Amino acid sequence: MIAIATAQASDGLIVPLFEDVTAISGVTSVYKGDWQYMVGGGVAAFDCNGDQFPDIALAGGEGAASLFMNKSTKGGALSFERFESGVELNHVTGIYPIDIDGDGITDLVILRVGEIVLMRGLGQCRFERANEAWHFASTNAWWTSFSATWEKDAKWPTLAFGAYINPNSEDNPWGSCTENQLFRPNEDGNGFTQPVALTPSYCALSMLFTDWNRSGTPSLRVSNDREYYEGGQEQLWHVEAHQEPRLYTEAEGWKFLKIWGMGIASTVFPNELYPSYFLTSMSDNKLQVLNGAKPETPPAPLYKDLAYDRGAIAYRPYTGGDLKPSTAWHAQFEDMNNDGYFDLFIAKGNVDRMPDFASKDPSNLLMQRPDGHFQEVGDVAGLARFATARGAALADFNLDGKMDIVVVNRRENAAVWQNITPNAGHFIDIMLHQSGPNRDAIGAWIEVDDGHHITRREITIGGGHAGGSLGWRHFGVDSATSVKMRTIWPDGQADDWETYASDAYYFVQRGQSAQPWSPTAGQ
Amino acid sequence: MPPETVLQKWYTLSLALIRHTPTYSPPVASRALAYLGVTAYEAIASSSPKLQSLAGQLQELKPLPPREAGKTYDEVVVLDAALAAMMHDLFSNTGPSGQQAIHHLEEELKAKAVSTDSTPETIARSEAYGQAIAAHLAAWSHEDGGAVVENMGFPWSYELKKGPEHWAPTNPLSRQQQVPLLPDWGKNRSFAMPAGASCELPPPYPYSEDPSSAFYKDALETYQIGKTLTPEQKAIAFFWIDDAMASPTPAGHWVSILMQIAEHDHLTLERQVDSLARLGVAMADAFIGCWHEKYRYDLVRPMTYIRRVIAADWTPFLLTPPFPEYPSGHSTQSGAAAAVLAAIFGDPYPFSDNTRERDGAIPRSFNGFFDASKEASISRLYGGIHFRAALERGFEQGKCIGAYAIALKTWR
Repeated sequence: MIAIATAQASDGLIVPLFEDVTAISGVTSVYKGDWQYMVGGGVAAFDCNGDQFPDIALAGGEGAASLFMNKSTKGGALSFERFESGVELNHVTGIYPIDIDGDGITDLVILRVGEIVLMRGLGQCRFERANEAWHFASTNAWWTSFSATWEKDAKWPTLAFGAYINPNSEDNPWGSCTENQLFRPNEDGNGFTQPVALTPSYCALSMLFTDWNRSGTPSLRVSNDREYYEGGQEQLWHVEAHQEPRLYTEAEGWKFLKIWGMGIASTVFPNELYPSYFLTSMSDNKLQVLNGAKPETPPAPLYKDLAYDRGAIAYRPYTGGDLKPSTAWHAQFEDMNNDGYFDLFIAKGNVDRMPDFASKDPSNLLMQRPDGHFQEVGDVAGLARFATARGAALADFNLDGKMDIVVVNRRENAAVWQNITPNAGHFIDIMLHQSGPNRDAIGAWIEVDDGHHITRREITIGGGHAGGSLGWRHFGVDSATSVKMRTIWPDGQADDWETYASDAYYFVQRGQSAQPWSPTAGQ
Repeated sequence: MPPETVLQKWYTLSLALIRHTPTYSPPVASRALAYLGVTAYEAIASSSPKLQSLAGQLQELKPLPPREAGKTYDEVVVLDAALAAMMHDLFSNTGPSGQQAIHHLEEELKAKAVSTDSTPETIARSEAYGQAIAAHLAAWSHEDGGAVVENMGFPWSYELKKGPEHWAPTNPLSRQQQVPLLPDWGKNRSFAMPAGASCELPPPYPYSEDPSSAFYKDALETYQIGKTLTPEQKAIAFFWIDDAMASPTPAGHWVSILMQIAEHDHLTLERQVDSLARLGVAMADAFIGCWHEKYRYDLVRPMTYIRRVIAADWTPFLLTPPFPEYPSGHSTQSGAAAAVLAAIFGDPYPFSDNTRERDGAIPRSFNGFFDASKEASISRLYGGIHFRAALERGFEQGKCIGAYAIALKTWR
């Protein structure tokens, strides 16, 4: 009752309310293992059986990865069922969904301590190994990060993989960061060429292809763990078609920054054009906002850190009595109360018995206010728990228009929270499709105008910590019962603005009018 | 395995752990290297006819446990066991990779350090004795005021002194760094010098914003040098950067120099442990003495002053560390280190230093310890994080503090 009363806060903020439904959700998955699994622990949220309800695949570390089919009904209790899908590999650190071969069925990229495995989706949540069929030659390493983009005119994606330290360097792991790699599609259009080294490599725990300057060509952001590199820093790579990747330099505006980089989350603040990036770390986190960007001049990659100013620094636990610095992993921006502003969820947990960092380290839910500042509500929202979190996925699992949460925990069961906010605002959910390659329109932008401001969202694959989501793109629209919406497709072609009723789901097929979708009877 | 190799391996790991353990800011690192040096020294001195114990010479250090009369010991095992136990104690808070590295080295050396002539009883006795030395020294260390470092060294609460002359936070992006690092470190029990106040400094120039004042002129010099840095000056600033979490810190840098000399010049084991102990003690005392003065005067950093008085958009070449300016920590450290090493090895004493090579810094060569230490000191002016007065007086304070370590009686 206290939480519900708080959810109707007097200052105008709708505090979302979550119910821990782990015990009844059917999700049983533990991220197991010792040293080689101190990082990773990702979860992928995507639909694998065509019912449009997001299913989930979770890394298991030393144990087997697992897939849970979503059995929830619209607006009902979150319900999942374990399904033998083919993903049950061991040594898995992370999982990302992506339609690699453009057949309209989602495939999976599985990061491991060992070989990366690409798994071709067969439909009905079944997958098969495709490394050989797709000419994908993975080396053995401690793989921890991934991102993908479709370069200009490419039929297959370009895949970037980030590696951590040499797993055989237990006696002296520092300075042993292994090679990050970029796989480009081959000329035959049926797979990949030999990888290009993305060196220097600095123990990448998150990567994200993002069109940071709205040039039409995404660059590759890499967040690196300073604990293990020597002479390293955060990185931004030019990745331009038919050219070797090259790092952005100080002369171009890129600033030297060393953090315990663990996760990247991107968002576009209301009415802004360019993405901002939240970088998770230990102690202070970073909120990088492009500095001095003007519409009339191409921006330089010069960012200012507004985490402290905006109340998003999240450097130590906000509840539980442990005052030591926090350890942050997966981060994701989503509108959790549908007020039209993207909020920030941060999964947290001690690396492993590090006494100088908080052991009781609850994950954060920071609500974005209209002025761009963030307010912590994790405790009153019902999310304050002291498991050792790693990856997470925020998705509307029961298609009730409210974003739910699944979190992967180290050495204990994953957690599932259902969003039961009683007074959330209206919403609109969009799923993009285009024919040919890049079916899910990775690299597109969706813009929603709710009458108060324009919310922009870049469609990406990558970032977070060792896992990501593919499917519905959720926009809270506050009190708007209809909104204007348009898509800017990956090649830059912009649809016209059109008006849509809110509280609905829409398929947007390129070249066609958006079609509303709703679950069939029984769903 | 020769004992010199055991010593070298544990020290190499200690420098890596200093860099990769978040509480290990420079003062904390200097403390660890002092205790590690004393541990190695006492382990060897306990059987050496050439060396005598530091008990009774270092503050509050009581006589170490005796050996069993008439019994034989494997001296390599004694040294290894003592260092292993002390490493576990000093780095009990390091992360999982650090714990694993300690464990791996411990296992490796246990397997390789033992002489084939030693009986199981001798090995067990030697291991127990080495551990007893470490336990004695660890118990001594726990009472010095520096054993517990919380919140990475930043106090939970701290009231900043008011007035433009006083330190103000220089990193607006860090929540932790809105208060200064380890404000009570100067109150810690010292090692060879009597107390943190043993080598007090005169006050810095009186604070002034008058362009004719000494304070302003000092600040103007830092500003002007920072605006016209040559590639060589930048290389020097980068070479001696010695930041926490990115290097072995100033104390570790000087230990690294000594280790390079030990290897290059084939120093005897006794000379190695003598010089490591004296150097460690001198640098730990230097940080205690330096911090005592830093918080006595609590002087504003160049970045704060210059932006307020001279040029609002000025940015120093190096990141400004989160504690008061006067005196310069690296200058005090390097003054103390050079004094000790020059006393042991003489000066000039040409050497090359590749400590920072893996971080991209080109090795540098020096004519001697004072040559290197003066370069380390001036690097802080090039970096824009100090005024010249803090360098010169910090260097003199270091030499004063180093004299206490030089005065220790080690050779019989």
